[in-house]
Amino acid sequence: MSQELRINNNKFIDQTTRLSFKFNGEKLYGYKGDTLASALLANNIHLVGRSFKYHRPRGIMTCGSEEPNAIVQIGNDPSLTDPNVRATEIELYEGLEAFSQNCWPNVKFDIGGINNLLSPLLPAGFYYKTFMWPASFWEKYEFFIRHSAGLGKSPTKPDPDIYDHKYYHCDVLVVGGGISGIMAAKLSAENNNETLLLDDKNILGGATIYQNNDCFQIDGTHTNYWLEKEIKNIKNIKNLTIKTRTSLAAYHGYNYLLAKENLTDHLSPDERKGKIRQRLWKIRAKKVIISTGSIERPLIFNNNDRPGIMLSSAIKKFIDFYGVKAGKEITLFTNNDSAYETAISLKKSGVNIVSIIDIRDKSSSKIVKEVEKHNIKIYWKHTIVNTEGYRRISFIEIMQLSDDGSDVIGKKIKLKTDCLGISGGWTPMVHLFTQSGGKLKFRSDDNVFLPDKNKTPSDQISIGSCNGDFDIKDIILNSNKDVKTFLGIENSSFDNLKVESSKEEMKRNIWLLPSDKPIGKTKPFLDFQNDSTAKDVKLALREGFKSIEHVKRYTTTGMGTDQGKLSNMHALGIIAETTGTNMGELGTTTFRPPYTPLTFGAIVGRNVGEFFDHTRKTAMHNWHVQNKAKFENVGQWKRAWYYPKNGETMFEAVQRESKAARESVGILDASTLGKIDIQGTDASEFLNRVYTNAWSKLAIGKCRYGLMLNEDGMVYDDGVTTRLGENHYIMTTTTGGAANVLTKLEDYLQTEWPELDVYLTTVTDHFSTISICGPNSKKILSKVIPDLDLSDEKFPHMSFKNSIINGIKCRVMRISFTGEHSYEINIQSNYAKHVWELCMDAGKNYNITPYGTETMHLLRAEKGFIITGQDTDGTMTPSDLQMDWIIGKKKFDFIGKRSLYRSDTIRDDRKQLVGLLTDDPKEILEEGAQIVEKLNQKPVEMLGHVTSSYFSPNLNKSIALAVMKSGKKLKGKKFFVPMENKNINVTVTDTVFFDKENKRLNA
Amino acid sequence: MLNFETTVQDSKSYGDLTLSEVEPILKINLRSNKREFSTKIGKLLSIIPPIEANTSSSNEDYSILWLSPDEWLIYSNNKISYEQQNLLEENLFNNISNTNQGSVTNVTDHWVMINLKGSKIYDLLSKSSPYDFKNFKMKKGSVAQTLLNHTDVILHNIDDNNLNLFVRRSFSEDLWLWINDSARFL
Repeated sequence: MSQELRINNNKFIDQTTRLSFKFNGEKLYGYKGDTLASALLANNIHLVGRSFKYHRPRGIMTCGSEEPNAIVQIGNDPSLTDPNVRATEIELYEGLEAFSQNCWPNVKFDIGGINNLLSPLLPAGFYYKTFMWPASFWEKYEFFIRHSAGLGKSPTKPDPDIYDHKYYHCDVLVVGGGISGIMAAKLSAENNNETLLLDDKNILGGATIYQNNDCFQIDGTHTNYWLEKEIKNIKNIKNLTIKTRTSLAAYHGYNYLLAKENLTDHLSPDERKGKIRQRLWKIRAKKVIISTGSIERPLIFNNNDRPGIMLSSAIKKFIDFYGVKAGKEITLFTNNDSAYETAISLKKSGVNIVSIIDIRDKSSSKIVKEVEKHNIKIYWKHTIVNTEGYRRISFIEIMQLSDDGSDVIGKKIKLKTDCLGISGGWTPMVHLFTQSGGKLKFRSDDNVFLPDKNKTPSDQISIGSCNGDFDIKDIILNSNKDVKTFLGIENSSFDNLKVESSKEEMKRNIWLLPSDKPIGKTKPFLDFQNDSTAKDVKLALREGFKSIEHVKRYTTTGMGTDQGKLSNMHALGIIAETTGTNMGELGTTTFRPPYTPLTFGAIVGRNVGEFFDHTRKTAMHNWHVQNKAKFENVGQWKRAWYYPKNGETMFEAVQRESKAARESVGILDASTLGKIDIQGTDASEFLNRVYTNAWSKLAIGKCRYGLMLNEDGMVYDDGVTTRLGENHYIMTTTTGGAANVLTKLEDYLQTEWPELDVYLTTVTDHFSTISICGPNSKKILSKVIPDLDLSDEKFPHMSFKNSIINGIKCRVMRISFTGEHSYEINIQSNYAKHVWELCMDAGKNYNITPYGTETMHLLRAEKGFIITGQDTDGTMTPSDLQMDWIIGKKKFDFIGKRSLYRSDTIRDDRKQLVGLLTDDPKEILEEGAQIVEKLNQKPVEMLGHVTSSYFSPNLNKSIALAVMKSGKKLKGKKFFVPMENKNINVTVTDTVFFDKENKRLNA
Repeated sequence: MLNFETTVQDSKSYGDLTLSEVEPILKINLRSNKREFSTKIGKLLSIIPPIEANTSSSNEDYSILWLSPDEWLIYSNNKISYEQQNLLEENLFNNISNTNQGSVTNVTDHWVMINLKGSKIYDLLSKSSPYDFKNFKMKKGSVAQTLLNHTDVILHNIDDNNLNLFVRRSFSEDLWLWINDSARFL
C-alpha cells in the first residue's frame, strides 16, 4: 500500500489496524477510521463514478452527506447489493467491496461517455421535447429510456438485514455535535434537562475538532484541544444521552423527529451477523436545538467537474482528520477566507500548494496574512476559465477578472495541478428548520437563507453556522446567549471565554464565473450528479420557466440523491441574476424529508415477514389448522374459509359443506363477530335510537335482528341483539365493523346522548361462538348440554338460554344465518376449543361437517340474507335492500331516520337488491359483473352489478344477488351480463331462493 | 370440567428479562358514573376505584386500574379458580348491575395477562410503543393504555421493573411473538 499520500500520527485514524477492501475488483488497503472516500484518496484514486446524463468522469468532491459524485454500489452479490451509498459517509471495514455506478464496461472506459460528445444535442428538457411525438412511439422510447435511467442497481432479493425502531422522549434534543451543539448539550444537560445529542459522524466535534490553527483559539488553546476537553467532560453528564452515527432524517410538526442510527454498517460482514443494522428513532422532544452547521459551496466555472476538483473544506478534512493528501500539487480557488485555512493545513502537512486563485481584489484578514507568510502565490482578482484532464484534473487556465466581474481580461495563465480545491462560501443547513414549518429570511451580505426568528415554530432554535454564524467568535458568543435564553439559564461556563479568530473582511460573490469562451461553448456544472449546467438554467429561463420549482423540474437541478445540497443556491443565484430578481424574493425549493436517504428497512423496522400485519386468531384456530382448513383474512382475523378433504378444490369443498349443513349438521366458528355488552336503565331506549326497528318490547330471553344506519340513512352494520335481563343486552356486530361500531356508539353516548344511563363493554374476545346448524343440530346440542330443554315451546327460534357445559357457564342463542334450525353457543374463550371438540364428537354419527366462511356465505345467499359490506357499499338504504319491514315507522327517531325521507333516498330508480338466475343453471356469474339491458349499445347503460354469486348444491343451480336500478320493479325481466368472451342471459327474481316459507327454522 | 386453554402458555427469559403469561386471572370491567358506586365497590372488595387518571389501587387480592373517568378494570392479583371467579362476578353483578349502579362485565378471557420483569423492560416497550414511560416507571401502581406494535395494551406498573401487560386474547399470540422477537435484541 502506498504511504505517499498518508500522513502519520493522525489521532482520528488507527494506523495500527489495516483494513483491506476492494474497489471495482482491485484490492486496496486503508485504516480503521477511514471512510471509503479517504481510503480511495490515500490510494490516489479520485475517479469513482460517471455522471448521470453525460457519463462524464467524476471524483470525490466532498467529505460528507452533500456528496454528489462519489456514490457507489456496495457488496458483490447483485441480489443483496446496496446502491447509491456515499463513499464519503461509509466507514471502511475489512472486506468492503464497492463498485462504481452508471458506467459500462468500467469507470475508466465507459461507452456512455459518448453522451458527452453529443451534449450539444442534449439540452435541458431534451426528453420532454424529443419524445413527445409521434405519440404511438412512446412505448418504444420508454424501453430505452428506462434502461438508461437511474444510477445504482436495486437488489433483487429481500433484504436479509434486521431493522429496529425506538420511541424516545426527551426534554431537549440537540441535532448536530459540532462546537455549538456540544455547548448546547452541555448547557441543557447541566441544567436538569433530559438531553439527547445526535450526530451523524462517529466522532463528535464537527469541523472544529480538527481545526488546529494558531488563528483560532479559545482560552489560549487551539479550538480543537478546547473542544476535545469539552467532549470528554459532557460524556460524564448523567442527563445527557449521546448518539453518534445517527442522522436526523425528518423534523415534523410539534417536535416529532425521525433519526436513523447506523449500528453495523461500519462493521465487517462477520461482525454484523445477528445484529440490528439500523434503528429508526422516533423522537418527541419538548425543545429542539438545531446545530446542523453549514456546507461549503462550490464555484461555477467552465469544466468545474473533473475528478480532482473538490471542495476546499473537504481537502482540509482529508488532511487534518483522515491524514490523507488529496493531491501532491494542490491549487485552491476561492471567493472567501476559508480556503486559506485549508492552505495552512496543507502547508503544515508538507503538501505543495501551486497557488491560490482568489476572485477578490484583496483580503487583509489575519488568516490571509498568515498564508502570505508561507510565500504561497496568490492570484488576486483572477478566475479559472477552463480545466483540463479527462480522468483527473491536470491543468487549469486562469485569467484576470474585469472590475465588474462579468468578463475576463488579460493573458491566460496555465497552471499544472493534480487537485483543485474550490470554495464559494458557506450555505447554512436549514433543511430541518424548514421541514418543521419555519420560514427563511435572506441575508444579502453573504447571500444566505437563514431561519427567521419571527417565523420559527415554538420550542426550537437554530444555533451556530446553520443560523448564519461562520466566525468561531460569533458561534460561541451567540450559541451561548441563545441557548441560555431558550432554556432559561442564567449563568453558563461559557460566559467568559476568550476567543481569538480571523475575521473575514472582504467578500465577493459571482454566481457564474466568466470564461473567455461564450457560455454555449462551456460546461459550468451546477448539479454535478444530474449534469445540469448554468446554461441549462439560462435556457429554461429563456423558454419561460420563471419559478425556481419549475426550473428545478425542467433542468433536474437538485433532483439527484444529494437533493441539490451543493447546487441549489447557485441555481437560485443565476436565476435571480438573469431575471433581475432579488434572491430573497425568489425563495428556495421545498426541503422535504428525509435529509439524507433512508433505507426502506429502517422505515418498516421489524414489521416485515411474519410481523407485516397482525394476525388475530380465534380460540379454535389450532383445531382449524389441524383439520387442514384454508384461511381467509377478514380484517386482521384469520377465519377458516373451507376445509378441503382428499384434494378437493374450493368449489368441491364448499359444495360438500353446504349440502351437509342443510341435510344433517354443520358447525362454524363464528367467534370473530363483534360482541358488545350493553347495560344500564336506558339500554332499551339506546337500542331504539341505534337500530331502525323497535326494541322496547323485546322480552327478556329473546333475540332480534337489527339494522344500523349511518347518519346519511345508509346501512352501516347489522347483527342480532339479545336481551339478557331487564337492563342488559348483548349486541353482535359484523366482524369487520366491530371496532368502528363500538367507537361510534360510545361517541354517541358521550356526545349526543349523555343523558342516557347506558354502559358499553366489548366482550368480542371474551366469548367464542360456535354455530351449529342443520336439521340435526338439536341432536348435537342435546348431547353436549343434556339438561337444556330444546323443545320449540321452551326454546323457540330467536331466543336464548343460560346454560352450563361441564361446569362452565355458557349462553346459547337459537338464531340462524343459514335458514336452518341453528344454535350458537357462546362460552368463555379459554374453554371454547374443548366445547368445539365435544360438538364434533357428539356429531360423529350425524356427519357433522365443519364449514368455513365461504359455505356460510353460500347458505345465507340461498336465503337472501345480506352481508353488510358485500351486498351493501355505503349507498344502500334498508328500502334499497327491500327490507322496509325493518324500519320502525312509528319510532320517534333513530340514527339516519331523517335521511331516509330525502328526495334522493326515496327515488324509485335507486339501485335496489334483487335476485338473479342465469338462464343456464350451470353458469355462475362473476361477482362485480355489470348488468345491461341492451347489447351493442354505445355507451352501454350499466344498470347494476352482481354482489354475491354461488352455485347452490341444494337448489342445483346458480344463484346470485345483485343491485339494479329500479330493481324492485324488474322481477321476471331478462337482462344480460356481458363478459369478456360471452354474454350471459339472466332473469331478475326474488332475493330468497330457498325455503321461502322458513319452514326449516323449526325443522 | 372443560379443558382450560389459554393462548401463550409459555414463559421466556432473555438475560434478566422474563416474560410469562399469568392465567387464570379474573378480570372484570366496571363502568359507572353514579355517586354511590365507589362506596359500594369499597364495601364489596375493600378497595376504592381510583379517580386519578392512569393510576390504580390494590389490596392483597385485587387491583383496580383506572381506564377512563367512568371505567375501571379489576383483576385478581393471584390465580384463582373458576368457581371463585364466578362468586365474585355474581356478587359484583348483583350489587352493581342489578341495582343500577353501573355495569359489571366479565372480561376474564377478553384479556391475556403477561408479566414482564427485568431491567430492560422499558427498552423493550420503547421499540414499538409511542408512550413516554418516564413518569409511569417511577410510580408504582401507574397505569397506561397505549399501543405496543400497533396493538392496544393496558400496562400496570406493579413494582420497579415489573409490570403486567393486558392484551386482547385474539392479538395475544401475535404480540407474544413480537415481544420475544424484540427481546432478542435488547
